[in-house]
Amino acid sequence: MLKNEHFYKYSLKLRWPAVCRNRSIEVLKERPDLIEQMNMFRDKINNVLKIVCRKKWQIDNNHSMSGIRLWFESGQDVYDFIIRQPEFGWEIMPEIDVINIITGQLQKFDLVYTPTGVSID
Amino acid sequence: MKTTYLTLVGNTPIRFDLEESLRIGPVIASGNANKSINFPYATCNSEQNLQDMLNTSSFRQSSILVPEPLFKKYVFFDQVTCLPDFPGLTTLDINPEKCSTQTLSLLLAVYLKQKAVFLLGYDITNPTELTNLKSIALANPDTKFIFICNPPRTFQLDDLPNGFCDNYIKYQEIIDAKK
Repeated sequence: MLKNEHFYKYSLKLRWPAVCRNRSIEVLKERPDLIEQMNMFRDKINNVLKIVCRKKWQIDNNHSMSGIRLWFESGQDVYDFIIRQPEFGWEIMPEIDVINIITGQLQKFDLVYTPTGVSID
Repeated sequence: MKTTYLTLVGNTPIRFDLEESLRIGPVIASGNANKSINFPYATCNSEQNLQDMLNTSSFRQSSILVPEPLFKKYVFFDQVTCLPDFPGLTTLDINPEKCSTQTLSLLLAVYLKQKAVFLLGYDITNPTELTNLKSIALANPDTKFIFICNPPRTFQLDDLPNGFCDNYIKYQEIIDAKK
């Protein structure tokens, strides 16, 4: 959705590191240490995505207080990224957004972790 | 996907070059009845058929539209897309999870609000299918439903103000006129 030439069907939100969560822009302006931590986190995600994903992906540039939004072209990449979550020690919000090609709407589904993998509720 | 015409391929296998049909608008397939053709869109509401379609090379580039419960199971498959909520389904007494795939395709076709829907390989020998087709056609008076068949023509749709019957030659002429 972010670049015209690729269709990013899936989206996930990854929570910021605990100290950076729910910080307003005003607070962030006064706390360069948090900004640095957030930038490092973004770089780390970028590196992991390079390893995990086979198709195109994108890190959303819009700031969100709760976390960082990721867009994926392939469902398989999303699945791989989710199940490798414990390996990298970060927290994915338990919901997945999928763009419907017919309606153009973003549909939200809850992610459920099961012993055999991930399912949708 | 907004065009004037839409071609819907029903549950019956057909022998027509559907590459030609793509010239006049999108083509929607119903289930896995026609496996030898590449369709841009296909509908499905049974898991068994969906698995078969996902493993069929001709559906590799297709968007397979399925009802929400099935979509949730196959969300990570790129080809699988969730069918939209069709308005007025309770009045029509059609359950998208249990109806035939051709009825599902028809619901999708009217949802897309195309001016004319060509029905190819559409099975109306089953009374339930015919009733569903008539109900959907009556609920969408702005859309023309053109049933394409080999001669002799059927008179089953003559009581519909927006239902017509034509043969493949006439359909080919419409395609040729668009070239």
